[in-house]
Amino acid sequence: MSHLIEMKGITKTYQLGKTDVVALRGVDLTIDAGEFTVVTGPSGSGKTTLLNIIGCLDRATSGSYVLDGVDVGTRDFDDLAGVRNEKIGFIFQNFNLIPVLDVAENIEFPVAVRKNAEDPAALRARVEQLAKAVGLDQFLHHKPDELSGGQRQRVAIARALITRPRLVLADEPTANLDSKTSEQIIDLMLALNREQAVTFLFSTHDARVVSHARRALQISDGRMVAGAMAH
Amino acid sequence: MALLKLAVRNLLRNRKRTVITLVALVVGVSAMIATRAFINGFRGMIIENQTRGVLGELQVHHVGYVANVQSSPLTIDMVDSPEVRAKIAAVPGVGVVSPRIDFGAQLSTPDRTPPHEDGSELPEADRGTSTFMMVTAFEPALEKQVTPRRWDWIGAGRGTMSEAGDSTSLVLNDDFARALKLELLPAGAALPPVERQAALITGDREQALNGENVVIGGTFASVTANDRRIGFLPLALAQRLLRMEGRVTEYGLTLEPGADLEQVKAGLQAALGPEYEVHTWAERIPFLTDLVETQTKIFNIVSTIVLLVVLLGIVNAMLMSVLERVREIGTMLAVGMRRSQITRMFLMEGAVLGVVGGVLGIAVGLLLVLVMSQAGIELPAPGAKVASVIHPTVEPFFVVRTLAQAVIGSALAAILPARRAAALRPVEALAHT
Repeated sequence: MSHLIEMKGITKTYQLGKTDVVALRGVDLTIDAGEFTVVTGPSGSGKTTLLNIIGCLDRATSGSYVLDGVDVGTRDFDDLAGVRNEKIGFIFQNFNLIPVLDVAENIEFPVAVRKNAEDPAALRARVEQLAKAVGLDQFLHHKPDELSGGQRQRVAIARALITRPRLVLADEPTANLDSKTSEQIIDLMLALNREQAVTFLFSTHDARVVSHARRALQISDGRMVAGAMAH
Repeated sequence: MALLKLAVRNLLRNRKRTVITLVALVVGVSAMIATRAFINGFRGMIIENQTRGVLGELQVHHVGYVANVQSSPLTIDMVDSPEVRAKIAAVPGVGVVSPRIDFGAQLSTPDRTPPHEDGSELPEADRGTSTFMMVTAFEPALEKQVTPRRWDWIGAGRGTMSEAGDSTSLVLNDDFARALKLELLPAGAALPPVERQAALITGDREQALNGENVVIGGTFASVTANDRRIGFLPLALAQRLLRMEGRVTEYGLTLEPGADLEQVKAGLQAALGPEYEVHTWAERIPFLTDLVETQTKIFNIVSTIVLLVVLLGIVNAMLMSVLERVREIGTMLAVGMRRSQITRMFLMEGAVLGVVGGVLGIAVGLLLVLVMSQAGIELPAPGAKVASVIHPTVEPFFVVRTLAQAVIGSALAAILPARRAAALRPVEALAHT
């Protein structure tokens, strides 16, 4: 059976002025569908770079990367837009909601920008279903600035799930939340993983988050540290 | 979700900046409409002064006259009779027919004091003088219907022009009459003795000199810088002076309301035959076409500069908007929006600005035009003593064109910001603070 994510020998080098900065030094990684995985590591270790490459937001300098059977390393940027839209959901540290859209519009945004429009009634029903799943069905017409941090992150989770992605990437999703809200968000993601078999991969510094993960990867100085398995 | 809806909401998020950008656009568009209307009104004023003050809308001459018009040739004349006038008036669309003769003459003014009894010369200040002038002769009752503006100018001068058939009354430019120290003969007053009258002296159509005594019945106020040495004379007196009884050099015509100028011209030419030539007012004043072309060129240059300045304002405002929305654009790219959609979103923001600013600008511009048109703008030509009134008008095509320029220009102004937004790398955009 093929893996959802299959990376071999991934390197990433940035150029800062005349200096080459190596962010990843030959990462091998496989993740299967349905996993709930965290990537940990100190600042500057390369975990955000790894998530960016996995999320098709950036391209590796060398190495191969196959996502859900698609060799994304050879695709151009607009092709990758389609891959991102169909296969990946994103949850950001700063929520990154679109301020001029209300909750319902933010949730449906990734579907709304598709070339082939979906049936509006069916889409709206799914938006309401997701909003209910994340506990925001009473806030559909609120703008992001009318919500708390936790509520915003719940909107971001619903937005990440609206396209029924194969993978949800979350970059430090609890970093801007208080501990109680962080717990609620982690519980929500765990429930979605358990009940809807959504594959989660997120980076975090938060030890409480790591403790909930079923698999923890540690990255250090651009290299994956082996043997980090949990639960 | 329609990109248009998103574009509109993005414009509304920073209302102050959007309003400032719109105000610049509204001012630019309304200034273009108002300026164009003013130029149109100025042109209309010149045309009205020429058609309703000098030429009439159509003119009939003996063939070859207009080609030699600078010398006011009396030999290229026409028979003037009730039959000829009736023939011209019978052409469909022709209104009033006014016969005229244009000629040059020498005006001799009388001495201001009686001659000395001892036969000695008068002081120079008291002596009469002779000077050249151009005379247009017509029948006042008819001419008044063809060129009523001429009577407005006479009304702004002194005295009036007698409509009596045997009148010897000359109407001069008021500045000219004052320079010659000529006194007006009040209406109804007895003629002064011959030696106290002025005289018009000129060569007749056979080049034989002839003269007629005239009195100054009225003056007209200047409307242009070059109408000083001009006078109006009753037709019968001019015909006697020029020995051209029953002949004229020109017919000035009005059109009936709604008649088509070119159609009436063609009808006249067909009715009168090849011995006659018919000209429209536009053909008699070709300088007007040059003037309009020059004004249009200047207007186009100025309006292009105005539009560019306004559009640069839009470029600047939208670049600021891109800068403020870098992370948001990164998010849009991350969740699958394509670069082309980002580009279109910003182009739509520019176009929406253009539509709103253009429509508001045209509304304000048309309101300005309406106010200016109803009030009229009094504007004396250089050297004129009488102000001409300009009534600005704007053609619908220009309004539509200006709106299209505002919309397309604003969308084009958004190209640079749109390209900059679409070229953002999601990783860098998402990391933007």
